Amino acid sequence: MKVLIVGAGEVGFHLAERLSEESQDVIVVDADPERAEFVQQQLDVMTVVGNGASLPILERAGVRGAEMLLAVTSRDEVNLVSCLAATRLDVRHTIARISNPEYYARGSVLSREQLGIDLMINPERECAWETFQLLQSAAATDVAQFADGRVQLTGMVVKEGAPVAGRRLADLGQELRAARFVTAAIVRDGQTIIPKGEDCIQAGDQIFVLSPTSEVERIPPLVGYDRFTLRRVMIAGGSEEGEYLAQVLGEHGIECTVLDHDRRRCLELAENLPRALVLHADATDLELLEMEGVGGIDGFVASTSHDEINLLSSLLAKSVGAKKVVSLVHKFDYLPLVPKVGVDAAVSPRMSTVNAILRYVRRGRVTSVATLKGVDAEAIEFNVAVDSPIVGRPLREMHFPKGGIVGTVTRGEEIIIPTGDTIVHPGDAVIVFALPEAIPEIESWFA
Amino acid sequence: MSLRHVANVVGLLLVFVAMAMALSGGVALLYGDGDSLAIFGAAALTSAVGIAAYRLTRLEGDLTAREGFAIVTFAWAGTAVFGALPYLFSGSTHSFIGAVFESMSGFTTTGATIFSDVEALPHGILFWRSFTHWLGGMGIIVLAIAVLPFLGVGGMQLFRAEVPGPTPERLRPRITQTAKLLWYVYLGITVLQTLLYMAGGLSPFDAVTHTFATLATGGFSTKNASIAAFDSAYVDWVTIVFMYVAGVNFALHFRAITGRFDYFRDHEWRFFTAILVGAALIVSVLNLSGGGYEVSARGIEHALRDGFFQVTSITTTTGFVTADYELWMPGAKMCLFALFFVGGMAGSTGGSIKAVRVLLLLKQTAMELRKHLHPRAVLLARMGRQVVKEDVMANVVGFVILYLLLFLAGCLALSLMGMDMLTAMGASAATVGNIGPGLGDVGPTDNYGWMSGPELTVLTFLMLVGRLEIYTVLLLFHPETWKGRKSFK
Repeated sequence: MKVLIVGAGEVGFHLAERLSEESQDVIVVDADPERAEFVQQQLDVMTVVGNGASLPILERAGVRGAEMLLAVTSRDEVNLVSCLAATRLDVRHTIARISNPEYYARGSVLSREQLGIDLMINPERECAWETFQLLQSAAATDVAQFADGRVQLTGMVVKEGAPVAGRRLADLGQELRAARFVTAAIVRDGQTIIPKGEDCIQAGDQIFVLSPTSEVERIPPLVGYDRFTLRRVMIAGGSEEGEYLAQVLGEHGIECTVLDHDRRRCLELAENLPRALVLHADATDLELLEMEGVGGIDGFVASTSHDEINLLSSLLAKSVGAKKVVSLVHKFDYLPLVPKVGVDAAVSPRMSTVNAILRYVRRGRVTSVATLKGVDAEAIEFNVAVDSPIVGRPLREMHFPKGGIVGTVTRGEEIIIPTGDTIVHPGDAVIVFALPEAIPEIESWFA
Repeated sequence: MSLRHVANVVGLLLVFVAMAMALSGGVALLYGDGDSLAIFGAAALTSAVGIAAYRLTRLEGDLTAREGFAIVTFAWAGTAVFGALPYLFSGSTHSFIGAVFESMSGFTTTGATIFSDVEALPHGILFWRSFTHWLGGMGIIVLAIAVLPFLGVGGMQLFRAEVPGPTPERLRPRITQTAKLLWYVYLGITVLQTLLYMAGGLSPFDAVTHTFATLATGGFSTKNASIAAFDSAYVDWVTIVFMYVAGVNFALHFRAITGRFDYFRDHEWRFFTAILVGAALIVSVLNLSGGGYEVSARGIEHALRDGFFQVTSITTTTGFVTADYELWMPGAKMCLFALFFVGGMAGSTGGSIKAVRVLLLLKQTAMELRKHLHPRAVLLARMGRQVVKEDVMANVVGFVILYLLLFLAGCLALSLMGMDMLTAMGASAATVGNIGPGLGDVGPTDNYGWMSGPELTVLTFLMLVGRLEIYTVLLLFHPETWKGRKSFK
């Protein structure tokens, strides 16, 4: 499949990397020659220098005959125009990254349906939504949802003295029959392990667990966290992400305080967020944060546009007792740092965008995919076809590759936590957790 | 500022007033009480002065904002003075200031009267009295704008200066059309209420005059006992409903007529209605518990009717009475006095502070309290989803302070002339708010006829300033209005 990516920023770069690893033909268009050069050196892709909204440049990049165009520059208008051009040139699928809600709102002149653009992704909103899901649980470092939100993948760091610490998975499975979950991966010392029954969970591990979304709240106590309900949230930094998050929280009736250092932005926020309390303050002003009750607050989200401030602000909040601290991190390089410094979770608008786009790109047999921060493995949701090799035999008889594990099987309304005896039927949706090297082989099981 | 411009427009408006007088003269002819000649004479004199002022000056270029304020103030003052002529010429009163007071009270829809026996007055004069209410209710200048398109852009300056409320809304892109629509709605409701009154057995004359007084939130009656003279529950309830209708923003009525029922969505409407109903219920319960109403089905209906009537009458600043509220329990009386400072909605014919300003002030106060809890909070006042801009809020706070100062200044002036405290407070609040009946010696069963010239002068001034929402009039007392740059827009 030939894929054109317009814009070689972090989103474009990451998409190009993922797609070329999956042996797609990727052509990257970027206006900056140095950036194009960098991409060419780093990845196995072709680059074209020029404006991605210009027809001659797109033609030079081979837009005719391309199957998909991903317009992911930081400018909405460029993305819209290049998608528009691509649809005219019979590119089958077009995806645009659009931040301004006025462009994708239903009924707008430029709406998706009118333009023939398949998917419009708003990075800030994706990110806010992900943050909201992270805030729901005291333990979660990562969340991703599958099967229309009925199955959730949750990443958590196991605390010292937690019920599951030091236990073999096989024993846990016997003891905790009531709690329905599958441990899909263990990350220890930067290594991702796809566990077998004899593997042991240790305190300090980050584990990834698949479970029915309705039963998610049973899991944090097992890894050593108190149950909690999200009632009060403070958002430090009135970025777009922060504003969207405040909106979502407001809609769910959660009390919300937003602060920003810019007075004019504060006025805007106060106007847009009737239900939130807006403060004109600095995200690292500890005295003020404490006065506004950051100690003991349920959720604290650092969402300024500066990663460094976000991390510092998160640490300050954590140090005075905020229960769940989430930091916005833009730079991919900083992501692995987050658990090490003691911040509970990180979200990245660009990573959210990459995820959303990949989810769409791989659709077909694959319905959903989640790329995790600082972890090699991916969670992929497959639809099982009638003639898929996985159909008809118990899972224990299948020689599933080492780097992969079957997480959950969704059959109609039912969510099955598989054992060795489980038999996959055609029409099931199967969520697989796998290391990149195992993905091609696993895909063949579902072909 | 060009005084010629002012004289020109004011002259034209006087011609209007003269026409209205002539109409009253026609009514006088019809009843043949012998007052027609006096009224026609007054009309002739008024039109002569008006035409002279109009012909001797010329309106060049656009009106400036300063001229707008001056025109509105002088037009109202002039209208009141010339509107007093019929009372003088017909011999209804021999006091010049008394007549001007009566006329000003009519045009400003206050309803305070110097006549102790109105039933003795001839029909033409009574009609003129009520007619001044009706003209002043929607505003003589709004009427002029509606029929005089050449005022054009300058019309907006006048409109803004006359229409009550912080920010008058436009129903149509052109100001002339907006003014016309408001008058059509006003006229339509007038016809409706007149018919309903006549269905209740009122004579056409009583029906029309009381309709004028209700819809303008005026309060002049042609009976000594006011609405109580009809002694009919039906008439009471009709009056309650239409007083309420007159206290609501006419733009809302206009939308309702054109099919957009926006009442419930309007936050000021909700506030206004809540205050009115709440106060009426409190007053009724207090009266039932010890105000001489028997606790039976009829007694309860009577208590509710009297409660709603008096509360609606005071809140909308109409000033009709069916019960002597001075005999009520202290709590009920105090409730009514508090309502002196609420008033109708912005864009209604009601006076006083206006519900929207009270609401905004409450919101501002709540915000200040919250600000103490969160010193760094950025808080905005809202009306529904709409954010209230800070300059509007500052204007509102300034207005309320000025209003209260004016009330106090009025009390002080009257007290210095020897009036007792309760009466002074009642009279001052009732005239600044364009309500009519006050407390003490100007209570619901009394009138203003006993007052001295200086006292009536003070009250006449208060009525004018209250009707034109203070700023318009007070600007003329600001030295900068009279010097410096020629125009600012």
